[in-house]
Amino acid sequence: MMETGRKRILIIEDDAHIAEGLRLNLSLKGHDAAIALDGPSGLRQWKEWRPDLIVLDIMLPGIDGLSILRSIRLEDERLPILILSAKSEPEYRVKGLAYGVDDYLSKPFNLDEFLLRVERLLTRAAWGGEGDPARGGLAAPGPVYAFGGNVIDFEKFTARCRAGEVSLTEQEIRLLKLFIINRGKLLSRRELLEIGWGYTGDTPSRTVDNFIVRFRKYFEDNPHQPKYFRSVRSVGYVFDHDA
Amino acid sequence: MNRFKWFYHPVFIFVFSIVALAASLALYIYWYIEVSTGLRGVIEKYQLDPSQFLEVQTWVVILVLSILVAIILAGVFIIFIYNQKTLQLYRMQRNFINSFTHELKTPVTSLKLYLETFAKHELPREDRLRYVGFMIHDVERLLDNINRIMDLARIESGSYRKDFVETDLVGAVEQFRRSNADLFRNAEIRVHNPAGKPLRGSVIPSLLDMFLMNILTNAVKYNKSSVPAVDIRFVPRGNELQLRFEDNGIGIEKPELRNIFKKFYQVGSTDDMTAKGSGLGLYLAQQIAKIHRGKLDAESKGRGKGAVFTLTLPLLSPGAQAAEGSSGQRSQS
Repeated sequence: MMETGRKRILIIEDDAHIAEGLRLNLSLKGHDAAIALDGPSGLRQWKEWRPDLIVLDIMLPGIDGLSILRSIRLEDERLPILILSAKSEPEYRVKGLAYGVDDYLSKPFNLDEFLLRVERLLTRAAWGGEGDPARGGLAAPGPVYAFGGNVIDFEKFTARCRAGEVSLTEQEIRLLKLFIINRGKLLSRRELLEIGWGYTGDTPSRTVDNFIVRFRKYFEDNPHQPKYFRSVRSVGYVFDHDA
Repeated sequence: MNRFKWFYHPVFIFVFSIVALAASLALYIYWYIEVSTGLRGVIEKYQLDPSQFLEVQTWVVILVLSILVAIILAGVFIIFIYNQKTLQLYRMQRNFINSFTHELKTPVTSLKLYLETFAKHELPREDRLRYVGFMIHDVERLLDNINRIMDLARIESGSYRKDFVETDLVGAVEQFRRSNADLFRNAEIRVHNPAGKPLRGSVIPSLLDMFLMNILTNAVKYNKSSVPAVDIRFVPRGNELQLRFEDNGIGIEKPELRNIFKKFYQVGSTDDMTAKGSGLGLYLAQQIAKIHRGKLDAESKGRGKGAVFTLTLPLLSPGAQAAEGSSGQRSQS
C-alpha cells in the first residue's frame, strides 16, 4: 500500500457516533479529519477548509448528500468523494455515480474496506494532481460553450451574446454550468438554490428568479419570450436549445 | 412499454369499466326494443295471440336491467376504492420499511465501527470508556426501535383488553415521571393538578406508560429550546378528564396536523430525505386513547411555537368510585 501522507478529510455525516468513529480511524491512519453534522455546514467547510477527500452521507438535515455532491461537482470535478449511506438500493448507487461520486459504500460497512477505499482514492488523486496544476478544474461542459449565437467562456468568465461582451460573476458561471449539465431537464427552484447556492430550501426563491431575468437579458433574442431559459409554472426552469 | 402504462392505471380501468357498463345497458335496452317491435310485427302479420309472447312490460325489463347494472356499478366502485386504499397502504408501508431500516442500520453501523476499531487498535482507557458509552447508547436506540415494533404488534393483536385497572391518573403520571427521570434528565417535566385531589380512571397501566413515553419523547426530541419543557395539566370536565401535554418544541404546521396520527406518516418527505423516525409513535398513542374510549387531539400555533396534545378520557364518577373503589381492580371486557 502506497502511503499518501497526511491528508485533510471532511466527514459529512449526521449521526454523531458514526462521524466520531470515522474521524477516530482516519486520524489513527495519520490524516486530519473534520466533521460536519448537516448539509449546509458541510458545504461551508468544503469551501473554507478545502479537504482532499470527502466522506458523504445521503440522508442529511438541511441539504441532502446528493445535492451537496452536485454542488461540489459544479466547481470541482476531481475532488475524491466517497458516499457512505444506509441506502443500498441500486437506484441510489446509480444516482450517486451519475452525479459524479467516486465510490459508494453502504452501511453497515467493513472498517478495513472503508479505510482501503479511502487510501486508494487519495492515491489516485495524488497521481492525477501531478502535471495538472489547476485543481478545481471545469465541470462537464468544457471551457467554452456555444448555443444559438451565444458563446460562454468558463475560463475567462465572459460571454459573447446579444448584449455584446459581458463579464460573468462566479455565481452566474455556477448556475450556467448547472443549466448546461442538465440541458433539457427541469430544475426546480429548490434544486437550483441547494446546488447552485448551497442554501436550504427555506430561502425565498426570488433569488433564483432574479438570476434568470439577468440570463434572459444576456442571451435571449426577446427576454419576454424566452427560447433558452424557459420557466415551468410554479416549479422551476428548463434550459434547452437546438443542436 | 412505458407508452402503455396509463392503460393499466386503476383510474383508467375504472372509468373504462363504467363507460363499458353504461354502453352495454344502452345496447341491451335498444336491442330489447328492436326485438320486441320485430316480434310485434310478426305477431300482427300471422295474427297470433300476443299474450303468449308479450306478457312482460317493456318498462319492467328496463327497470330490472338498470337495477342489475347499478349493482355491478356499485361493486366496481367498491373494488376500486379498496384497491386505492390497498395501494396507499402499500406505499406507506414501503416508506415505513425504508425509513425503519435506516433507523436500524444507523446504530448497527456505529456499533460495528467501534467494535472493529477496538479489534484493530489499543486505545487509552478514557477514550475506550467514552466510545463504550456511545455503544451503550446505540444499543438503547436499537432496543427502542425493536420495542416500538413489538408495541405495534401488541396493540394490533388486542391481547391487552382484560388488563384494565382502576387507578389514580395523577399518581400514575407522577409515578411514570419518577421512574423515567433519567430518560428526561435534560428536560423539565411538570405535572399540574389544579383540582388537588386524585382523579380516578380505568386504564391499562402498560399502555398508559407507552402513551406517556411516546408523547413525552416526541415533545423532547422535536425540540430546539435550550431546556425542553413539558407541562402536563389535568383538567376535569364533568365526567371526562382532559390531560393536556404542552411543550415548547418545534411545533407542527397546520397542514401536518391532520396527518400526524396516520400510521407510518412522517413529517417531512422521503424525497428530500428529511423524514426521520418510524411514523408509528403518534399512531400508537391515538390507538391507546381509543382503547381507553378516549381520544387524542393535537393543536399547534405553527412552526417554532410548541404543540399541545390533549388526551380525553372518561372519568369514573364519584359514586362508582365509592362503590367499587375498595375492590381496586375490575375487569372490563
